[in-house]
Amino acid sequence: MKKKTRSFFNWILLAGSTIIVCLFLGIILFDIFSKGLSSITWNFISALPSDGMTKGGIFPAIIGTILLTFITTLFAVPFGVACAVYLNEYARPSVLTNIIRASIRNLAGIPSIIYGLFGLALFVQAFKLGTSVLSAGLTLGLLSLPYIITTTEEALKRIPNSMREATLALGATQFETIKDVVLPKALPGILTGVILTLSRAAGETAPILFTGVAFYINGLSTSINQEFMALPYHLYMLSTQHQSIEQVRPLAYGTASVLILLVFMFNIIAFYIRFKHRSQD
Amino acid sequence: MSIKKREKTDWVLKQLFKATGLVTIGLLGGIFIMLIYNSIAFFANISPIDFFTGAQWDPGSAKGNYSILPLLASTGLVALGSMLIAVPLGIFTAAFLSEFAPSKLQAVLKPIIEMLAAIPSVAIGFLGIVLVGPGIAKIFGIQNGLNALNGSILLAVMALPTIVTISEDAINAVPKSYREASLALGANKWETLFKVTLPAALPGLIAAVMLGLGRALGETMTVLMATGNASAIPRGFLDSVRTITATIAIEMGEVPYRTTHYFALFAIAAVLFLITLSINLLGEFFANRLRKFHA
Amino acid sequence: MKYFFYSLLVLLFSCSQDNKTIKLKGSDTEVNLAVQLAESFHGINDDVFVSISGGGSGLGIASLLNGTADLANSSRSINDKEIELFQKSGIPIDSFIFGQDAIAFVVAEDLLIDSISITELSGILSGEFSNWSSLSLKNLPINIYGRQSNSGTHDFVKKKLGIDFSLYAKEMNGNAQILEAIKADNSGIGYVGAGYVTHGGSKGIKVLPVYLEKNQQAISPLDAQMIAAGKYFFQRPLFQYYMASSYQKIKPFLDFEKSEAGQKIIQSAGYYPVK
Repeated sequence: MKKKTRSFFNWILLAGSTIIVCLFLGIILFDIFSKGLSSITWNFISALPSDGMTKGGIFPAIIGTILLTFITTLFAVPFGVACAVYLNEYARPSVLTNIIRASIRNLAGIPSIIYGLFGLALFVQAFKLGTSVLSAGLTLGLLSLPYIITTTEEALKRIPNSMREATLALGATQFETIKDVVLPKALPGILTGVILTLSRAAGETAPILFTGVAFYINGLSTSINQEFMALPYHLYMLSTQHQSIEQVRPLAYGTASVLILLVFMFNIIAFYIRFKHRSQD
Repeated sequence: MSIKKREKTDWVLKQLFKATGLVTIGLLGGIFIMLIYNSIAFFANISPIDFFTGAQWDPGSAKGNYSILPLLASTGLVALGSMLIAVPLGIFTAAFLSEFAPSKLQAVLKPIIEMLAAIPSVAIGFLGIVLVGPGIAKIFGIQNGLNALNGSILLAVMALPTIVTISEDAINAVPKSYREASLALGANKWETLFKVTLPAALPGLIAAVMLGLGRALGETMTVLMATGNASAIPRGFLDSVRTITATIAIEMGEVPYRTTHYFALFAIAAVLFLITLSINLLGEFFANRLRKFHA
Repeated sequence: MKYFFYSLLVLLFSCSQDNKTIKLKGSDTEVNLAVQLAESFHGINDDVFVSISGGGSGLGIASLLNGTADLANSSRSINDKEIELFQKSGIPIDSFIFGQDAIAFVVAEDLLIDSISITELSGILSGEFSNWSSLSLKNLPINIYGRQSNSGTHDFVKKKLGIDFSLYAKEMNGNAQILEAIKADNSGIGYVGAGYVTHGGSKGIKVLPVYLEKNQQAISPLDAQMIAAGKYFFQRPLFQYYMASSYQKIKPFLDFEKSEAGQKIIQSAGYYPVK
């Protein structure tokens, strides 16, 4: 009997913990979606904020986040993939390779606010890009770099060596092998990693705080050397800075819903690519 | 294209790829140099003794008090609280996932944990304001729920996916033969789990906790929104606290470049950087031990 | 690869656009007003964008100094230290007063106190009094909800009373959060721009009229006549600072603020016009 109660207790401990973890997600999604989904109308998605941001939509924030993510992609993806290709295809085990790998792992552990400081010092001040979408996008690009490198390298590792050897044996140079065989074959894996990384970048707030995000812009500015509105910052602003904080709560919930839906959409696309790729193999 | 030309292209591109590798070293070095350079400028004005032993962070005051202690205490308190919540939950969940959950249940639970990891920190901070804060105020009968406890709960939620995923890998890495030997000796599945499998996975579990802790220490938006940001040394979990990250977020925009206050923010960032770096290195050390152990 | 170059082209094109965005940063008190002004301004002049950020008066002035803002909203006048910094970097600046603000001290509606003196306020905010029992009949600990040091309101109250704030004062991210906290906390006291009370809904809170000495009339920050007469202790001009060199760029927006339509917006937002 004693053993049975103990076993029961252990079972509760493990299953209970798991249930609590699931509940966390449940509560987050339930609270945000139950109060936020009703705010999402076509007008909310497509209109400019109006009446001192107590009415209207979040269109500029959506466009800002898309533009920002676009710049992050343009900067971080070529760089990250190139670095992963070097590590997986060219680099021999050496001190230098080890240092590069250690740097990447440590870069991934640096708090995002420190990337914000670095972006401020480097892009805003040293490169004189000012506070702008460009500075913020580049900062997020730096933040994303280690993740893109790691996930791309994993995708490259899954390509069997026999494929490379076959191509090389046919007389192709190493670059041709990479360009024509390895990368196309690894593409779904790379894409999955890139999309997941970008979904993280799109939700980041701390690195863009000092590098270009604005509270409000009275129109739709798509110029990359100007400040911008972004969904996560808009949510922060609506929930802590706005003057009629209670009146705009529905807007804040709506913004949170849109942000989470956007991030989940990225994730679902990534999972779809991964799933489709696996079932092809 | 002639062979020569092709080979030349090949060589050039190889160097180009190599350069990107060097850029990552440059990036880490650049961040480090930026922090150190600005910190030195700060310590030229304020003595390190005041910085590490003073009791106040109040750059606005006439005297200019720059002590990192209240910020460190706040950061430590919130992170400690989050680990108290997240470590048992995370490890037990990982044990459940890898040892007991049928594969169909696993297929449901894993995406749930990945989804939890995907939720932006600002959304979690928002819930700290609208849901957790009022809840804490009600339960403890206090007026305002924006305090260290609130931050700890939210950071626990954010650190959980990291802890669960890495712990699960660690538990899975324990060879099957260990379990089989234990069961063959007459131990039941619980004794096997708590006395054989988990201890064998310990280095990996420590690595998981370290990485989760690194995430909690470095998180900005959640604590900025949910902890109340009072810069006195906290007396308990129900006090408002102000972490290093929140202080940087609040004050960086306000300071004129290249003033003592500006440098001070880099100095506290440098301290944070060194803390997270050593925690990550420690985590990596334990992860490597696990790998060697089972190799 | 092709797409990559196309996207680069798009980027280059957007780079070459005219620089017609006015970056306005600073005072959290003024930010909502600025948003409303900018919104209406867009209706009149839609080829000039205004991008607005809050964060505090200090932030605005620092941004001006750092070159990341064209126009700095400030609810306090620029201080000596800042003047020195501007001189050091050789940036001549100008200022413009576009309205007046009064600071309201707010408490929960059910706190048994109807007005407050300057000395009492000093005692409370500096942490000298930690309990309401000496001022009101309730035996409750006092919770102070203030702003961060980058706030002009924080600075203004501190200077006006000649105190240092209690270290246990909670530093909220903005006026709105203070009101929110006071509503929930029947032992709290906080300060916000009067515009926040009139415009943000004053359910559950009350504004304390302030008096200088005993037997003097307590004056409310919501009393437009008294403000116009300059009688309220915590009233202040709302400044906008800008680099003298960028006057041409921001002129259209300043003109709009001065115009009848602009002044109307300022008044309806709960602020007071310049005499």
